[in-house]
Amino acid sequence: MLRRLYPLVLMASVALGAGAASAQDASGVENARKFLEPYLAKPAFTAPGEPFDAKACAAGKKMLSIPNSSANPFLKGIIDRMKKVGDELGLEVVEWENQGQPSQWVQGFEFAIRDGFDIIDLISGIDPGTVAPQVRAAKEAGVKVMTSHFYDPSFDQHPDVSSSLTIGFNEVGKILANWAIANTDGKANILTIVSREVPPTIPLTAGIDEMLAANCPDCRIVQEINVGVTEWATKIQPAVQAALQANPDINVIIPIYDSMSQFVVPATRLTGKVGQVKVATFNGTPFVLDFIAQGLVDMNIGESLDWIAYATVDGHLRDACGMESPTALNVPFYIFDKDNVADAGTPAQFDTGYGDAYVAGFRTLWGLDQ
Amino acid sequence: MTDTPLTTASAAAKGANLTRLFERVALILVWLLLIGGFGAAMPNSFLNWGNFAILFASYAPAALLALAIIVPLTAGDYDLSVGATLTLSSCVIGVLNVWQGLPIGLAIGLALCAGAAVGLVNAFFIIYVRIPSLVVTLGTTSLITGLVQWMTNSSTIGGIDNSLVMAVVGGRFLGVPYAFYYAIAAAVVMTYIFDFTPLGRRLLFVGRGREVARLNGIAVDRVRLGALVTSGVLAAAAGVLYAGVLGSADPYSGLNFLLPAFAAAFLGATTILPGRFNPWGAIVAVYFLATGITGLTMLGIPLWVTNVFNGGALILAVTISQFTRGREASDIG
Repeated sequence: MLRRLYPLVLMASVALGAGAASAQDASGVENARKFLEPYLAKPAFTAPGEPFDAKACAAGKKMLSIPNSSANPFLKGIIDRMKKVGDELGLEVVEWENQGQPSQWVQGFEFAIRDGFDIIDLISGIDPGTVAPQVRAAKEAGVKVMTSHFYDPSFDQHPDVSSSLTIGFNEVGKILANWAIANTDGKANILTIVSREVPPTIPLTAGIDEMLAANCPDCRIVQEINVGVTEWATKIQPAVQAALQANPDINVIIPIYDSMSQFVVPATRLTGKVGQVKVATFNGTPFVLDFIAQGLVDMNIGESLDWIAYATVDGHLRDACGMESPTALNVPFYIFDKDNVADAGTPAQFDTGYGDAYVAGFRTLWGLDQ
Repeated sequence: MTDTPLTTASAAAKGANLTRLFERVALILVWLLLIGGFGAAMPNSFLNWGNFAILFASYAPAALLALAIIVPLTAGDYDLSVGATLTLSSCVIGVLNVWQGLPIGLAIGLALCAGAAVGLVNAFFIIYVRIPSLVVTLGTTSLITGLVQWMTNSSTIGGIDNSLVMAVVGGRFLGVPYAFYYAIAAAVVMTYIFDFTPLGRRLLFVGRGREVARLNGIAVDRVRLGALVTSGVLAAAAGVLYAGVLGSADPYSGLNFLLPAFAAAFLGATTILPGRFNPWGAIVAVYFLATGITGLTMLGIPLWVTNVFNGGALILAVTISQFTRGREASDIG
């Protein structure tokens, strides 16, 4: 009797199990879609702190901005906009032009100390730990060293740094994972391309892992390709081609920084996978937004440079004038895809398509528009 | 009785011939072994024509770059600026075609002219000012890199005319994108010039001994100038292919091709015509290295291994090359 019933019991339990699993999948996909909603709407402004008289605070103050490298158009764009915002407030913003060499950053610190600057802003990429003696010397000389767009909130700030405006790399990872889940109906087989020597990679990939585990246990990272930044050009394309050939079930590629995608696109083109494999990435670089318009990339998470410039000036002035500084940059991430990429301009621009909610927001906060 | 020494001599000659034949095809055999090894490990994904078609096309710019290098190497000069020239050429196309709106044909023509100009500048300092080629081409590399960053505002330029993309990777013959056949065509032309024309012989003589060549009435300086300009133009052509493969112009990536291209040029000198830089040897070497890298990547081996593979192959190739040449001192420089 038991033997005769066994197949039925087995079938019923499999059916029940499958039903439970598909219900779980559906709710996971629904969660992923909900998670993405705020990033698909035009970004709204949230005040990073109490209103203050920014002109009075900025009067006579000088800030030296040291980018990771002046050859990086993203950083150059932020600093140029910070200069413009600074001009209106009376804050003198100077860029320390460099080619990404630590010895040049050291010279920047010496210049700032000698020339009586009030703030040194390490922007996106310079780890204060690599110039620790200079950070200490600046602190002892009364120059406040601040970072922006570098630390993830999970990182410990260097002890001699006065304040840091963090950026949520972990949040970026979560957006990428949820986008992959939502756009494959919970059947994502993902190829990730990462550069583990760059510190933000760690929280970012952790964000991807967390969301896959939470919203899509059936989704998986088929392969992770780890390529050093200096080797993107020679290694990404052959590695992606090899991965696509070896694993035909890959249906999403996530190059975590969008400049990687110029080497991913030729790989999808040569393997005939354009349109079949979705490409999702982060940074909002204009030529990658153009790839979306051409149907070669599917999604790119961007941030407005001008917004970053306003938020950086706001945060650093608050610290310089003894107020409480916000711990995060608070610049919202915005998803570009084929439906809204035209808003970014043709050809796409760094700063277009994000709306201008922040301009009125900061001006009111600073007492300029009253 | 009198036959014995002759028999021994002919046997020895036969043995020497066999050794030479083995030397000529050794790299090809190793390549086949490598393909066999990866094929056994991954019969479905590695051993299919699609995989090789993609491999052939995506390494075509590297193959053309290796061909560019062997011209001045044969004449006894290093050209380290080929990587920067590749970048310059693809960025000239990007700037002129995308930003300035010039037709793609004209942009390609000007990119090739830029390559010739680099060759002329190198030649002026190497031949007339008599500075070692290593120093001059290292200098022009840095100079071109700076110029490219200025020209492109350090940004990647996307949206290059689709007709170039189609001409390079869009069309296929026997399943292999056209890019591969451009590199093969260059190798055919070079083989003809190297092996069947007086110019090719003069190039070799200049490389083997400048003074001897001069005393024999060869216009050494003119041959060296021609070799450097040719390498500039070929490197620029590699840049055109690269822009076609990517569909965009990247101001940073070209320099990364330098070491693999040199590895292929030296590795190529150990095969087909051992002891001599030769076009088919360079092509075989490029695809031997590419097969190794692709196979290792497909096996999921970390990418740092590919650097070890490239560097190891270069050192091994030069060592073998030295032994084939009877360990004589190299005359390049």
